[in-house]
Amino acid sequence: MKRIIALAAGAVLALGSGAALAQQDAKALATGVCSACHGPEGHSISPVFPNLAGQQPAYIILQLEAFRGHARGDPNAQAYMWGMASQLSDVTIKGLADYYAAQKPSPGEAADPALLAEGQRIYTQGIPTQGVPACASCHGPNAAGAGAFPRLAGQHPDYLVAQLVGFQSGTRANAPIMANVVRTMSAQQMKAAAAYAASK
Amino acid sequence: MMQPGSSRTLIAGLAIAAGALLLAPGSAQAVPSFARQTGFACEACHTVFPELTPYGRRFKLNGYTVDNLPQVSGMTPSKEESLVLNQLPPLSFMFQTSYTKTKGALPDTVLPGELAKNGQVLFPQQASLFYAGRIAPNLGAFVQMTYDGTSGSFGWDNTDIRYASLVSDSFLWGISANNNPTVQDLWNSTPAWQSPFDQRSATAPTPSAGTMIDGGLQGAGVAGLSAYAYLYNSVYVELGAYRSAPAAAQIDSTSTNVVKGAAPYWRIAYERQWGRNSWEVGAYGVEAKLYPGGGIALTGPTNKYSDWALDSQYQYIGDDHLVSVLATYIHEKQTLDASFGAGASSNASNDLKTFRVGANYYYRRKYGGALGYFSTKGSADALLYAQGTPVTGFANNKPDSNGWTAELDWVPYENTKFALQYTLYNKFNGGDTNYDGAGRNAKDNNTLYLLGWINF
Repeated sequence: MKRIIALAAGAVLALGSGAALAQQDAKALATGVCSACHGPEGHSISPVFPNLAGQQPAYIILQLEAFRGHARGDPNAQAYMWGMASQLSDVTIKGLADYYAAQKPSPGEAADPALLAEGQRIYTQGIPTQGVPACASCHGPNAAGAGAFPRLAGQHPDYLVAQLVGFQSGTRANAPIMANVVRTMSAQQMKAAAAYAASK
Repeated sequence: MMQPGSSRTLIAGLAIAAGALLLAPGSAQAVPSFARQTGFACEACHTVFPELTPYGRRFKLNGYTVDNLPQVSGMTPSKEESLVLNQLPPLSFMFQTSYTKTKGALPDTVLPGELAKNGQVLFPQQASLFYAGRIAPNLGAFVQMTYDGTSGSFGWDNTDIRYASLVSDSFLWGISANNNPTVQDLWNSTPAWQSPFDQRSATAPTPSAGTMIDGGLQGAGVAGLSAYAYLYNSVYVELGAYRSAPAAAQIDSTSTNVVKGAAPYWRIAYERQWGRNSWEVGAYGVEAKLYPGGGIALTGPTNKYSDWALDSQYQYIGDDHLVSVLATYIHEKQTLDASFGAGASSNASNDLKTFRVGANYYYRRKYGGALGYFSTKGSADALLYAQGTPVTGFANNKPDSNGWTAELDWVPYENTKFALQYTLYNKFNGGDTNYDGAGRNAKDNNTLYLLGWINF
């Protein structure tokens, strides 16, 4: 009898690996799960969690794949996103990227004018003496990003600084270009560049 | 297939465990099975366990259902999900070992004038098995079974089983079935999880008087059902009711503090988050009509306990520095128709008020400290707060106690905590010197407590 029940149960059950998440509608996932940290429509409150609204879809895809494959391993990526992305299918990742790309970006954050002026110099001209190229050359004059280069405009400045620190220390090692860019940057220069980019 | 012999042994073991169902002393836990289920490190949901972060509160609100594990799933022909189950059950273990030393040794329980050995090691103080995680798409559970080292028994501890449904970005509702008013609460400023008061020695004396919502109902054994809603990511409202559910074959005059009908519980809170800060302010309460029991039949007049309370919590969660401040004030109006009529209290009505405030600081979630102040005050009542019992008696017939708790913490890993705590009493059970009428002073109960706490 037990065996019959087991067989019947087996006939109904499908043993799926992450089938539940993969099949979920990306929008439902974004509003039901992602929004707990990244906020409604990708506008987050805490600078621990980046704003995703208006982010470049190719960049979101790259990051989610890097979380899933553990290529991106900065502390918060490990703490939150390794788990979160572990069962996502390629289809869902694409859906999430499209959903967030379609949201209206967060407005830029105001900052100290002197800091912004210093940031603007770094952002538009780089720091030639230290071999730091202009941020604008990849992220665009308005920091809107392009393709694999993320939008920085409207991001939390604290989040951007944390990423620059991570590129420099090697905890976020999935962006070789950035590791090279930030190699010689000081904490103050990072803060200024982040403030300017975020303010756009 | 299980051997007949072993199944008998198992059934006998379960029967013993069921027969010994006792509420373990208040304790608060963090659960690695949540981490296994979500793939999140503990720090996603806890500043340092058991205190919750804003995301931890959201996870609880959502019914513990966020799940990133491979699933066993089932579907009906009309494509409705009939089963979504973690391939591995969300189980965790907890082990606490402790050392307690009071300033003055406790009296020997049998020999008059003699003292007990001071400096008690409990190994374990508590050991718990948790089932904590998702059960179905909108259903999750936090179920704790605890072996209590002082009573030597295995019993139910904190339990919260909940259903939650997210309707939109700005509206979520749910239902919680639980066994301790405030165990389902999201903030650590309410009694069940109030940091830094939630961990204390299992053997040192603690003040005898407390309000119903602050452990009284939990101690009597209750089960409750409540419905909650979370609006605009900031307003939390909850309404529920508790019934008596002591671990007894039947509820009769041998039980104590039996709820007449159901005791309504209410909660409202507002939380605001900005940057890395969050601030909550709220109120909660319970209205309980209790038969005192303990030899008195469960009929006629009851004691009515009307508790209302305020609470507030502030958190700053930085990468290096983490700060939280948590406070609550509880006011209880006791209308003691049953006890007064039976000659068990001197007054027909009494007040009892408790205030606690604590602050926690951690550096990189690794090294921390806490400081807390606690105070309970109330009406004098010669019968309710009677003198004559060493240690637990009240020479002045007053329930008043107050003091400080200071703690140093070391959290080498996110699931491992060592705490050194000192609790200092200015007043204990109504007095500072000879408070029990047997010569014991409040400061004799000052407690040095060393706790090792691992979760895996």
